Amino acid sequence: MSKPILGKFRKPQTDKKILGPMQRISPEMRRFSDDEAVDYCIIGVGSAGGVLSQRLAKSGFKVVGLEAGPFWDTERDWVSDEKGSHELYWNDLRLTGGNNPLSLGDNNSGKGVGGGSVHWAAFAPRLHPSDFRIHTEDGVGVDWPISYDELKPYYALLEREIPVAGPAYFPWGDPHGYPYGPHPMGGVGDILVKGCTKLGIRSCAGGPVAILSGSHGNRPHCIYRGFCLQGCKVGAKASTLITHVPEALEYGAEIRAHSMAFRISMDKNNRTDGVFYYDSLGREHFQRAKAVIVSGYAIETPRLLLNSACPGHGNGLANSSGTVGKYLMAQAGNVVGGRFESLVRMYKAPPAHALTEEFYETDPKRDFARGFAVQTVGPLPIAFAKQMMAAKGVWGWGMRRVMMDYNHWAALGVLGEILPWADNCVELAEQKDQWGIPVAKVTFNLHDNDNKLIEFAKNKVEELLRAAGAQDVAQEKRFAHLVGGARMGNDPGSSVVDKFGRTHDVSNLFVCDGSILPTQGSANPGLTIQSLAARTADYLISQGDKVFTSEQRDMTRPPVRRELSPKGTFIHGIPRLSFAE
Amino acid sequence: MIKSDANTDRWIVDPKTGRPIPPMEQPGYYPGFSTMGQKSYWDAKTREVVEERVHHAPPIRFFSSEEVATMSAVADRLIPQDDRADGRKIPIINGIDERLFKEELEGYVYEDMPIDSKAYQIGLKAIEAMAQELYSTTFATLDPIRQDLILKSIHDSKPIAAKEIWSQMSPHRFWALLLGDCATEYYSHPWAWDEIGFGGPAYPRPYMRLEGGQPEPWEKPERRYEWLAPFTSISDREEEMGGGEHPRQGGTH
Repeated sequence: MSKPILGKFRKPQTDKKILGPMQRISPEMRRFSDDEAVDYCIIGVGSAGGVLSQRLAKSGFKVVGLEAGPFWDTERDWVSDEKGSHELYWNDLRLTGGNNPLSLGDNNSGKGVGGGSVHWAAFAPRLHPSDFRIHTEDGVGVDWPISYDELKPYYALLEREIPVAGPAYFPWGDPHGYPYGPHPMGGVGDILVKGCTKLGIRSCAGGPVAILSGSHGNRPHCIYRGFCLQGCKVGAKASTLITHVPEALEYGAEIRAHSMAFRISMDKNNRTDGVFYYDSLGREHFQRAKAVIVSGYAIETPRLLLNSACPGHGNGLANSSGTVGKYLMAQAGNVVGGRFESLVRMYKAPPAHALTEEFYETDPKRDFARGFAVQTVGPLPIAFAKQMMAAKGVWGWGMRRVMMDYNHWAALGVLGEILPWADNCVELAEQKDQWGIPVAKVTFNLHDNDNKLIEFAKNKVEELLRAAGAQDVAQEKRFAHLVGGARMGNDPGSSVVDKFGRTHDVSNLFVCDGSILPTQGSANPGLTIQSLAARTADYLISQGDKVFTSEQRDMTRPPVRRELSPKGTFIHGIPRLSFAE
Repeated sequence: MIKSDANTDRWIVDPKTGRPIPPMEQPGYYPGFSTMGQKSYWDAKTREVVEERVHHAPPIRFFSSEEVATMSAVADRLIPQDDRADGRKIPIINGIDERLFKEELEGYVYEDMPIDSKAYQIGLKAIEAMAQELYSTTFATLDPIRQDLILKSIHDSKPIAAKEIWSQMSPHRFWALLLGDCATEYYSHPWAWDEIGFGGPAYPRPYMRLEGGQPEPWEKPERRYEWLAPFTSISDREEEMGGGEHPRQGGTH
């Protein structure tokens, strides 16, 4: 058996926490006492919570982030292995139902510092300008309370901070370029480009994806090992664990791991004064805070608000509109596999590395509103076996046979817009979790427009694979991502938070995560969630102490604080091959 | 030479000669490929987790001895390993038992399903009841084709017996749970990676040949052979469900 020159790779000898092989942080951090009223208690340190804690701490606020899961050490905790990565996901009890029940857990729910950004595939496209006004343009869904232009500077900022690799000219939506060069292609990307070319449509290879194509500060570039969904041990794929949390700690934020918030506390002046949570031993604590930001994502955020019902908020906190938990969305994520005569070996390269958004916008020639993207996916063996179970109904020797052909298959994913519907929702179930907290019950139903979109999109991807030379295609109907459940809007009667994430009902309670999205477009939501978090942070910084003392609601747009970017990521050098601005 | 006492009717078959193919140390189209041969190039934590999986199958603590008998027979049909030599078969039920014993969930339960451990108890009871009702014997002692017929009817969501038990629980959802778990155990094992030509763990040593399905220097090219499933099995009949909605899905995008 061959060995590396210096012998097999050993366990690291350091007392520090390792975030990718080059970044080390001290495990010692500031510790606030429960009684000290911090400025912001952030519940959930994921995509949004990581960015918020970094910016608020850097601006001098006292910040505590309560995270239900662990504070990871990527070298000692994570593995290059599918089954061994089970702990990255939110595995606790949740009920799922409706006519089209959603898979949760590893499909869309993270747990631990970094949250879902630890196990996302890291496709990082922007929403299109049309996504912010689909009710006006297409008569479906709802318009956002903000336009694309209000979010655009934050997209550009976050693309630099995390940063995103992709082409110098991305042709769809609002055309733009990416700061890091596109990645080399894997076999699945080759097939996507080939199929698109045969169909005469544009495609984009090597991004946009939040994975380093060149080293960046103390993060190495990608090594193309394909285990993105299992947590990037390399530190090349962005997660807030490695992009924002280290700087949050440097500026004095406390990230309190294994802390499960179960109720937001209200004082007699209709203001929140802190958060009740359980520590890893199940002991109850109360963290005082002058303001609270809920960043628990589309299921845990509504669950916590509903579980925080109290006198004056009998239907759940911030739920005078009755919309907490409603308008939950997942994207159509049908995976279509194609079998090719020649080998593909789709486990190499990041699953996310090529796409087309040619079908993204509403097309009057189709019988449905809105559209979809087509993206590479690269299922590893267990995921692929489960997809073949669904797509081809294989089992027994049939399973063994199709799996022996694993290296001949390429898989592409639909990413389609499912519209917001009130009956798609998060409610409280009677069952309780290990802490005795009522669990979430998730209901999901497809509606007419969704079904038509999915049918068209699935057929288009099959056509694309056949055009690329696939002899056999098989598709699995599934869903990807979660957003909604605490949507933002101008009308307090039909939304939970205003356009800056402040709840309509409680002036020092905010929601900032995927749950505030009113609609979802056909873009993976991670970049949008982080961009919204940076924008909410700018707003809170502009408001200063008024958030803690005043009932006033200042709706002035804050300046973009580019100086708050983590060091070494300041906005320079983004290629610009379009002169449209 | 085929030994006369060998259970040749369970072996896969060479379609050209019609003769059974004896069990192999390493089935699949990548002879000589060994992911474990690369373990010195893996990080310490990954090496520890995968070696533990290969060398120490967890003990049975959840399933009763009757359930072990049924479950082992079921796993042998869901992921048959009759083409694998003794000593090279991959343990399936130990890992499932461990998950159920530790009450680990996958992050959700269907509203019309019991919790996973209960679902297994009901499902195994139903499979045993089907064997008794149809053939008046235990599932484990049935011949493979009868076992396959029972399992196929659950796969098709039309159980051919024990209908009262199946009225308590969706056979479709139970099938997805059961087969998904079995597939997870098999395809998480390095010997299965060798079989299908998956490169396995890849950090710190990376992949460098990304396009065209080219092998790494330490991987092997494909060398296919033709084979038919044993005549005693019905699980390899081409039959597309098409557009199946699989109730247990991991992340992709």
